[in-house]
Amino acid sequence: MVKLSHRMSEPVTGSVLAVKDLSVILSREGRPSRVLDGISFDMFPGEIIALVGESGSGKTSIGLTLQGLLPREYLPQVAGSIRLAGIELVGAGRRTWQSARRHLVRAISQDPMGALNPTMTIRRQMQESKGGDDRSIGDWLSRTGLPDPERIADALPHRLSAGQRQRVLIAMAMMARPKLLIADEPTTALDVIMQAQILDLLRDLARDQQTAILFVTHDLTVAASLADRVLVLYAGRIVEMGRMQDVARNATHPYSAGLLAARFDLDSDRRRPLPTLPSERTHSINVENACAYATRCPIAQPDCTAIRPPLEPASVHGGAVACLHHEQTAFLATQRADAKPWPAQAIQETAALRLSNIGKTYPTGARSFWGRRQRQPVLRSVNLSIKLGECVALVGASGAGKSTLLRIAAGLVVPEGGTVTRFDKLPPQVVFQDPVASLTPWLTIGEQIGERLRAVSPDSDYGRRRVGEAIKLVGLDPVLMDALPAEMSVGQCQRAVLARAVIVPPRLLLCDEPISAMDVSLAATTLNLLSDLRRRLGMAMLFVTHDLAAARIIADRIAVLKDGELVEIADPDAIIAAPQSSYTRSLVAAMPSLQPGGGR
Amino acid sequence: MLVYLTKSIVGAVVVLLVMSFIVFGLQSIIPADPARAIAGPSAPPEAVEAMREHLGLDDPVLVQYGRFLLRLAHADLGTSVRTRKPVSDDIRQYLPATLELGLASIALGVALAGVMAALQFLIPGSGGIRFAIVGIGSTPIFLAALLLAYFFWFRLDWLPGAGRLAYRDFAGPSGLNVIDGILVGRPEVSLDALLHMTLPALALALPIGVAVGRSLNGALHEVMRQPYIRTARGKGISETKVLLRHGLRNAATAPLSMLRLQIPILFGNLLVVERIFGWPGLGLYTVQALASADLPAVLGVAIVFGMLYILVSTLIEIGQSVADSRINL
Repeated sequence: MVKLSHRMSEPVTGSVLAVKDLSVILSREGRPSRVLDGISFDMFPGEIIALVGESGSGKTSIGLTLQGLLPREYLPQVAGSIRLAGIELVGAGRRTWQSARRHLVRAISQDPMGALNPTMTIRRQMQESKGGDDRSIGDWLSRTGLPDPERIADALPHRLSAGQRQRVLIAMAMMARPKLLIADEPTTALDVIMQAQILDLLRDLARDQQTAILFVTHDLTVAASLADRVLVLYAGRIVEMGRMQDVARNATHPYSAGLLAARFDLDSDRRRPLPTLPSERTHSINVENACAYATRCPIAQPDCTAIRPPLEPASVHGGAVACLHHEQTAFLATQRADAKPWPAQAIQETAALRLSNIGKTYPTGARSFWGRRQRQPVLRSVNLSIKLGECVALVGASGAGKSTLLRIAAGLVVPEGGTVTRFDKLPPQVVFQDPVASLTPWLTIGEQIGERLRAVSPDSDYGRRRVGEAIKLVGLDPVLMDALPAEMSVGQCQRAVLARAVIVPPRLLLCDEPISAMDVSLAATTLNLLSDLRRRLGMAMLFVTHDLAAARIIADRIAVLKDGELVEIADPDAIIAAPQSSYTRSLVAAMPSLQPGGGR
Repeated sequence: MLVYLTKSIVGAVVVLLVMSFIVFGLQSIIPADPARAIAGPSAPPEAVEAMREHLGLDDPVLVQYGRFLLRLAHADLGTSVRTRKPVSDDIRQYLPATLELGLASIALGVALAGVMAALQFLIPGSGGIRFAIVGIGSTPIFLAALLLAYFFWFRLDWLPGAGRLAYRDFAGPSGLNVIDGILVGRPEVSLDALLHMTLPALALALPIGVAVGRSLNGALHEVMRQPYIRTARGKGISETKVLLRHGLRNAATAPLSMLRLQIPILFGNLLVVERIFGWPGLGLYTVQALASADLPAVLGVAIVFGMLYILVSTLIEIGQSVADSRINL
């Protein structure tokens, strides 16, 4: 053990990580499936590589494989070679892996709220990371930009915000001076301002300590603002790799090109539907000897389903691509016929929802002797009205009171002050962040959608027809009417949730961060669907989000909430071109962009 | 904390009042006649009537209850019909044996739960052993106790299966023999007390261990899938440390609640087990009191058990808030 850890702390020359022909098979419910297939790449000290792909592409599995932390219940079978700082890890014993995790490879994860032990102080969790050395804890916390490091060290995680926790996790990982840091979507749960700060921090630490960072993300824009090189992953295979800027400018694989096209930012065309990736076609092919993307690929040829394309040097840039017809990809962009613009939306003068002087406080801190607790204001006299047919996006950092305001509008939370006036008596429909969790697991989709039909049995012919119409309206396959939520993808669940909301078209639809957990293509698809539905059904909409780009695309007006107060409300492009409040200005400035250096 | 303790004490008093009222009410419902029991089966009716007068049994139940409460305030639980001694003296005599056995069973039960968790999470392929523990622990208590006595005492003679101590004349300051043996410098007494305790404590601990162990395993199963467990493993610390430092404390709330639910069941089981192993404690005393319709004794024991339960459950709640400081007492 001593010998090994001594060797592990030696300086590394050449590549720090060499992955060769790495394949991983996981067995879920007894069905083995290949989640990684022939992955090969090298990483050098201080280099940042972005690992990009949709959910389910295997990008998280790579990170877990490199740490030896694939879930044991899935009976992982790992083949190939992982050499980390010269040590072969495939087939290595438990102690070697433990030692590698201790000295060589660390990780920070997507969910800073869950990644810290809730019953242990930050100090003890950090001590465990490095051992002994108590003095450096404060240093490390302040290096990540945390104010008052001593107070934070003695706190329990629930006292810290998401951004603070992510900084703690970064400090905890970096204080062990690893050779490799795996950052799995570390900014997905954060708003753009915090995201920009965390990305800067990671970049600086990688340079200072010569730590290689494998940055796992679904967001090419975020990847572009940080990484030196990029690996594009599809169905467990690398389909394209190269220098980040080359791939961002000249994506050569149709999948990379599709991902790039589906991304939306503050400059995307908001008058027409967003481009999306073609969704999976139903018939499956044997991918063993085929391109896994062939079923979705707009330029697929017959040979794509007969030969597995090898990863070959790309002619367009210095990287490599696995596509038999990659010279066609360049035509994709020109070929893509511009979608028809959205029809004009009739906005009436009558208000669908009027919130006047809304105030709300929440109890906080310890109870006093009589069981009373101090109350912290979350909303202070907020005035907001949404006209019939209008969509207003509510933007703000986490903790600004967005969700509380939405819940008050829905009638789920009673405000302490002010009045809520809705156009009609029907309760508004709400779409929540997690579509899978908002469906009851043991009822079929058809039953859950049909439940909203009062006085009509969902089993009657008429009921089934109405459900079928709603399902078609949201673009779901009608055969899924009898499916259970567990049998459907996240995107399909989201459509089912929407079908449930619109089977009896409400005058007002409330959406609480409906796209924040989705990858780019699915988010674009959902935005398109919502835009379409609200125009077709003439619904007013309140769209809560922390994503300014999404707000701009969907909404007629953007309202900015800061610390429980409405600081700004205006036309999206007006707000972005000339933000009035300082908070909105920093929000706009923090938006990542594909260009190096990022920001505006 | 101060607020919590105040609330607990007030709650305890209310619970004890309600409980004593229920037990007291039994007196007027069940057909047993304390006056006849005290006067003796062959006493003439006048003597029984005089005794009834003396005990105040002709007064309305509420008046009797008030009198009972008044005496209770002076720690006077009345006189046992069977032993003819003050119930409080009887309880003082038998309580230490039961406390010793009860505490040992809880400790052994918790240890057993820990063993089950360790088997489940650290030793792959130990399902058979867990299955056996659950199987034995799910046997009705009287059967498990009899089987233990039969095999380990009667057949194998590895452990004593009757009484509390071989040293008949030993009497220590606290009445808890294991501790007293050490206090007075006679370790052989402590050892003998431990040996005598093993079989009854094991019989009592099995159902506790299985219930708490299953609850602990369920909670750990959930906790060990949390992202912070992955963070801990990612630091390269050993799996045992991950389980003990990060898993156990976060999983403690549910099994502690389960332990609390086991306490009243333990009190009931003490009656059976003390009877089977001839353990001279409150359980045996209660069995005998019940058999002779000795209501003052039953009432007194019920109040003592009630107080013990409230004490233990308050301690467990404090333990839960120590394990998870987000639980605000």
